[in-house]
Amino acid sequence: MKRRTYLKSGGAAAIAGLAGCLNVTESNDATTADDTTADTTTGTTREPDEPLTVATYDSFFGDEGTAGHWLKRAWEAEHDTTIEFTAPANGINEFISRKKQNAGIDADLFVGLNTGELVRVDEELPDARLFDTVADDLSHASRIKDSLQIDPRRRALPYDTGYISLVYDSTDIAEPQTFDDLTKPAYEGALLAENAQTSDPGRAFLLWTIHEMGEDGYLDYWQDLVANDVRILDDWQPAYNAYLNNERPMVVSYSTDQVYYHDEGQLPHHQIGFLNDQGYANPEAMARFADTNQPETAAAFMDFVLTDEAQANIAVNNVQFPATTTADLPDEYDQYAKEPPEPVTFTYEELAGNLDGWINEWARQIASS
Amino acid sequence: MDKRVGAPDSEQLAPAPARALLLGTGLATLLVLLVVFYYPVWTVFENAVLRDGYGVFSALTDPLAAVTPDVLLGVLSDPFFLGAAHTLFEAPLRVPGGAAAWAVEFLATARPALAARPPFVVLVHDAGTVDFGLFGFTAYQAVLSTVLSVLLGLPGAWVLARFEFPGRRTLKSLTILPFVLPSIMVVAGFVATFGQFGTVNNVLAWLGLGRVQMLYTLEIVLVAHAFYNAPLVTRMVGTAWENVNANAVETARSLGAGRLRSFTDVVLPQLVPALAASALLTFVFTFMTFPIVLGLGGLRLATVEVWLYASVNQLDYETAAALGTLETAFSLFFMYVYLRYESRRASSGTGKPLSRERLLSAGSLRDWLTRGGVGAYGVVVLVVFVLPLASMVLASVGGLSDPTLEWWRMLVERQAGSRTQPSVAVRNSLLFGLGALALALPMGVVVAAFSTRGGRLRKLGDTVLMAPIAVSGVVVGFGLLQGLVFGVEIGPYRVSVVGPAVVVMAHAVAGYPFVVRNVAPMLERIDSRLVEAARSLGANRARALWDIELPLVWPGVVAGAAFAFAISIGEFDSTVILAGENAYTMPVALKRFLVDKTAGPSIGPAAAMGTVLLVVTALSFVVIDYVGGRYRP
Repeated sequence: MKRRTYLKSGGAAAIAGLAGCLNVTESNDATTADDTTADTTTGTTREPDEPLTVATYDSFFGDEGTAGHWLKRAWEAEHDTTIEFTAPANGINEFISRKKQNAGIDADLFVGLNTGELVRVDEELPDARLFDTVADDLSHASRIKDSLQIDPRRRALPYDTGYISLVYDSTDIAEPQTFDDLTKPAYEGALLAENAQTSDPGRAFLLWTIHEMGEDGYLDYWQDLVANDVRILDDWQPAYNAYLNNERPMVVSYSTDQVYYHDEGQLPHHQIGFLNDQGYANPEAMARFADTNQPETAAAFMDFVLTDEAQANIAVNNVQFPATTTADLPDEYDQYAKEPPEPVTFTYEELAGNLDGWINEWARQIASS
Repeated sequence: MDKRVGAPDSEQLAPAPARALLLGTGLATLLVLLVVFYYPVWTVFENAVLRDGYGVFSALTDPLAAVTPDVLLGVLSDPFFLGAAHTLFEAPLRVPGGAAAWAVEFLATARPALAARPPFVVLVHDAGTVDFGLFGFTAYQAVLSTVLSVLLGLPGAWVLARFEFPGRRTLKSLTILPFVLPSIMVVAGFVATFGQFGTVNNVLAWLGLGRVQMLYTLEIVLVAHAFYNAPLVTRMVGTAWENVNANAVETARSLGAGRLRSFTDVVLPQLVPALAASALLTFVFTFMTFPIVLGLGGLRLATVEVWLYASVNQLDYETAAALGTLETAFSLFFMYVYLRYESRRASSGTGKPLSRERLLSAGSLRDWLTRGGVGAYGVVVLVVFVLPLASMVLASVGGLSDPTLEWWRMLVERQAGSRTQPSVAVRNSLLFGLGALALALPMGVVVAAFSTRGGRLRKLGDTVLMAPIAVSGVVVGFGLLQGLVFGVEIGPYRVSVVGPAVVVMAHAVAGYPFVVRNVAPMLERIDSRLVEAARSLGANRARALWDIELPLVWPGVVAGAAFAFAISIGEFDSTVILAGENAYTMPVALKRFLVDKTAGPSIGPAAAMGTVLLVVTALSFVVIDYVGGRYRP
């Protein structure tokens, strides 16, 4: 934030010094204007020592063993620019609101965008450009799997993907084969799911049921699930915690679960269930903010993320699958991270205009049942 | 420090500066409130009441054109939100018919059920099937939560006020502890305690009674609400009980009243106001509940706050603003009722407290029965309060079945230069807590001093000043983000507020109402002749406050300080938004450790951090009570 045109005029500095918490900028800062073109020449104005600020989510970075930590170390070994991560509490919503209020974007790129969030960005900001198109400048962008592309305008580039699946305890119940199985008496009171309003895997599971049952049929299907006593908790942590406490034998989770639980004793308690032989793909993408003042470095970093070495390390450290066709996973990891026979997902076009309505209808039905 | 009225040095202080100090503190309080509370909250509410494109100033100049009821009415006439009551707003003329239909529906469901099951069970289960709507259900669970909290808290007040036993004072200061515990940890503790294979069920199974499904029911949500609020009842009623004047009781007894009669006629009337006040606070808190409901009950038990949070998440600001406005109006109404109750709390003096019985010695059969009752209550306390906390501590060492020091080792490793260092979190929490305390105490005392001065609109003004309690955390956090973190345009500049200072201010604003609520009633009880005497001897208003009133209300100040500190330590929503990347507190660190990918899907690291939080805050409260109890200004 300080790197933006920071007024050093007496008055402003005095106020800032007094409270230690005030930040005063010119409100017509060129970087916040909506019509800024992705003019790469603005790169000349940046200070050389300025770090590249990457906005992402909490668990992406931090310590040894996270994808972000590896990226930062590997990047900084070869480049002069340092990487600074930040995780705003409201994720992409924070930047949407900032853009709306003309409050200035204090990051250079966003990492961890999914299709629904990108749809929201475009619906909330029809006239403003939060991200700009970058794919054409990158040498490694062509390696991304076509099935994972989430952005028709090629701003957001996928860097990994997870598959939503069921995780079940095979010592307690048999594997459910189809969506209809879940509504049968054998699975009464068995399933833990997450709230689609507030949780990523919860939303992905809801979308999977809509993909399967159709826009007109999914609410009826969920009515049957509710009748069969499905439980919808607010997020993945409490749901998974309840699963670990043997509260219920089945939970909506990720198909990489066995990466954590592959001991002989644990394996039977952590089986992956692909309903209808499917898994719902939830690609994670990165995009460059149109307001960045170091667009070249941001693009170079995105290209770096797509190199084979980075792809393999991100996948393993983030417990996901790579987004490119050429990355090679270590055998050990490959063995326990399961990919569904048939990955399904909704495209950007299919979600646009529908997503919030679908989620709202669903939540109203659950809450009033 | 123990200055007396008319002591020579009281005249050395010139009246003007002291008066200016009082006035200055008052103005500063208003300014802080304006910046960190009223303005941010307004930015949320304006979405619900103003037409597009209208701002505060245009609304002031032409309210008729700017204000629109559309958004509020949209929510009010939606059966999803108001249930059967939505007809009140959708078609007011049809209301008698609608109300009749609702009553018929209610009786039809409740009557057959009443024949088969006890009333409480019917109330919890079958009344829930009537179409209450989201607001109705929220109020309904809040009423039940309040009843349970009072039932669970009252015996505690009795034990703490009437018995003497080793550790009584420590126990009393610890009653505030549940207040600071992050809900994520409490949910985990409750799952481990009351789950299908939790401690309680294991004991039941061992006794051959079979396992009971307790999670995902309204009942367990109510118990969790009692976990948070019963200690509040205990604390407030217990303090009132300790302030009952023993002389009055002895007089009643000497006039021939029995134990029971003297209790109902003398003691009880003095407890009722505190009881009503704590019950109202509990109602307001549980009305605005959210993570507990989602974590232990799930989406099927959704409350207004759950919907509000989801609306904010989907950037549906209109719905969020309408829900926030209605919720706040509702809570403010109850705050107003609460304040009216509180003003009747006057009368009793603090002269001679009732003597306490020794808990650990008993003579008569009656004594033994009482001790038995206390023992039974102790078991309940153990199950509801101690077991969930013990479960959390146990989770930090991997549980009984799979003991490990891995998570504690991880905390130590994090200490060596990581994004989130435990000691930094502890330090920040304590510093912010002390900062918030330093701000909230003068703010609270000054507001209390002004509010006891009377005036016609006083209760209304008080209600507005109490608003930080009545506005939901989601609304405040969201308003702070939009109004302060993003900044406001002042002329050609955009001024935004970031960093630790604003966190401290936000915490102080959230905490100061508790200082006011603890100090104002005691201030009101002070014999005005004492203050008049001091003033006639030359002390100015500020001097009288410092030398006469403050020492007399000191127990209230200490209690308020504990609350203000507790709020600061436990606050999560606005802290995580305001503090940015580096000014993290213990709850923020806990949340980060919860999603730490390197630890896998385990609550171990968060449980370890939660244990640290538990120990640090428990020690802090004992210290506040110990130091505060001895210190007199």
